[in-house]
Amino acid sequence: METLAALLNGFSTALTPENLLFALIGAVLGTAVGVLPGIGPALTVALLLPVTLKLSPVSAFIMFAGIYYGAMFGGSTTSILLKTPGESASIVTAMEGNQMARRGRAPAALATAAIGSFIAGTLGTLALTFAAPAMVSFALQFGPAEYFALTVLAFTAVSALLGSSPLRGLVSLFFGLGLGLVGTDLQTGQARFDLGRPELLDGIDVVTVVVGLFAVGETLYVASKLRGAQDAVMKFKGRVGMTREDWARSWKPWLRGTLLGFPFGALPAGGAEMPTFLSYLLEKRLSKHKDEFGKGAIEGVAGPEAANNAAAAGVLVPLLSLGLPTSATAAILLAAFQQYGLQPGPLLFATNPALVWGLIASLYVGNVMLLVLNLPLAKFWARLLEIPRPLLYGGILVFATLGVYSLNNSVFDLVLLYLIGLVGFAMRRFDFPVAPAIVGMILGPIAEQQFRRALAISQGDYGVFFTRPLSATILIVVGIVLLGPPLLRWWNSRRSGTSRTTS
Amino acid sequence: MPDSTAPPSRGISLGDLALALGVVALGAFFLVETFMIDVNPGYARVGPRFFPLLVSFGLLGVGVILAIGALRGERAQPAAEEDADPDAPTNWRSIGWLTLGLVAHMLLLNVLGFVLASTVLFWCAARGFHSTWIVRDLVVAVLLSVVVYVLFTHGLGLTLPPGLLKGVL
Repeated sequence: METLAALLNGFSTALTPENLLFALIGAVLGTAVGVLPGIGPALTVALLLPVTLKLSPVSAFIMFAGIYYGAMFGGSTTSILLKTPGESASIVTAMEGNQMARRGRAPAALATAAIGSFIAGTLGTLALTFAAPAMVSFALQFGPAEYFALTVLAFTAVSALLGSSPLRGLVSLFFGLGLGLVGTDLQTGQARFDLGRPELLDGIDVVTVVVGLFAVGETLYVASKLRGAQDAVMKFKGRVGMTREDWARSWKPWLRGTLLGFPFGALPAGGAEMPTFLSYLLEKRLSKHKDEFGKGAIEGVAGPEAANNAAAAGVLVPLLSLGLPTSATAAILLAAFQQYGLQPGPLLFATNPALVWGLIASLYVGNVMLLVLNLPLAKFWARLLEIPRPLLYGGILVFATLGVYSLNNSVFDLVLLYLIGLVGFAMRRFDFPVAPAIVGMILGPIAEQQFRRALAISQGDYGVFFTRPLSATILIVVGIVLLGPPLLRWWNSRRSGTSRTTS
Repeated sequence: MPDSTAPPSRGISLGDLALALGVVALGAFFLVETFMIDVNPGYARVGPRFFPLLVSFGLLGVGVILAIGALRGERAQPAAEEDADPDAPTNWRSIGWLTLGLVAHMLLLNVLGFVLASTVLFWCAARGFHSTWIVRDLVVAVLLSVVVYVLFTHGLGLTLPPGLLKGVL
């Protein structure tokens, strides 16, 4: 009941004309961002941070939420019509949805993706509405030791589960942790890694790092390996729609995808990749049309797209209730909160209920807007893909430099931006995931602070992390995430090794 | 440039090795810098050097493992991104144009102002993406820069360097 009352209050915040306008701007921007190559939700929020500082936090976050959900909707359009997944979570949609489009079923693929995203987004937001307060009452018992253990879990999860190998994830993570160290030690006020430059005493701005790694790094990389001819965008006739059979084959995958996606998103092990792949495998196993998989089965679009959007809602649970980002976009949202002097976590629900519940309510509103924006307008969004690439990437660079320069009106930030851009280029060329670096940079200082606080309370006894049951449990999970996969691989290779020698 | 459509060669990829050594060097740099941090003795059990030490050793560790892998012939697969073809050879000419644009922008921003510096950046970037429409790019670059400048300074109250166009816009 308490939650419902809070949510109703949230709606009264979200439904003011001004905030509805910001939700709409966010949804439109987000969809465009999802469709356009080279820009993602993390980058867009980062670019808008300096601009939004003049807005009230509630309006800014309502807009950011629209961008966040909108990018998921827009990503499926690109995947289906062009077979270019904007992010790893849309790989499955790109495979199966593009096959559907090739067989002339683009309207149905777009419709099942949009409606599935809407249903999963709404159910996911509903789950968030009730899970977040429950998590908050749980999180209020957390001490520094538990928080530190949680950050370690987030580190291991993002670096072990994203990208092609845990080693590459760890390289990215440590790079981010290193960037996070630059500045002034929070506890003692000692300067660290400032290289004698006063500009570095406040630390490196997250916006600079996100824009450098995503915008500059990506532009450099794409330029270095530009595809000769642009792929033709799939043409489709008629309105976006589904037949009775499409509906019958879609609704169960939507629900199953939601059920898979939300918990995966909500776990600190987060991310949307695992649940989309799992959903695809599950639908393939359950389908009566197994032969269609790989050639354009509608279940293979409906399930993963739902899982993707439900996971996006799930990611907000640890972010809002614990202040724990588990994806690059969540990390930059956390930075956005910090920019406004707010710290997401259990206390935010008590100190700033209008903001939190206005944000959650706007997610419901945004989902409806996105459905309306995407079902009839899919054709229009697809036209964005026809922007000539030289102009598109030129524009991305201009906006990137503008956003970073306007942080402090300093050319020094631009130097940092380009250096970090070169690192982003190398990360793509040599196959390192970018998200662990961002999460490491934002969460590193929090981890350090909680670690030192825990030790201060325990008077230097390192056992504090293992004697408190909650903290110990989380650290055991860390061990499983770290050691599980290599042990499994070793076991499997031993078994296949012995079977090979016996045969 | 190694041709990745060819069967994987047994040789060492110099790029992979250089990157691994770069990570090691970064770790070493952090280690050296860590010992430059002033520590007030007795202030805290875990001082401002503790975490930097962990990060330095972490970087050194993963760097060494990467280097060993590179020496054993491992090579990384370039990322598959929208608009990018991972199998294409690296086009250094394009990177050169982009670098030129970015460095020029950085040097010119406070001299010529936002509009002209951004025009140069945009135009160079378009060159880097193989555009042959030299005049069209220039027109779009100027239009975009002017619109952005007016919108952000007059509409949103940001300050951007006016440079040569001071008083005109």
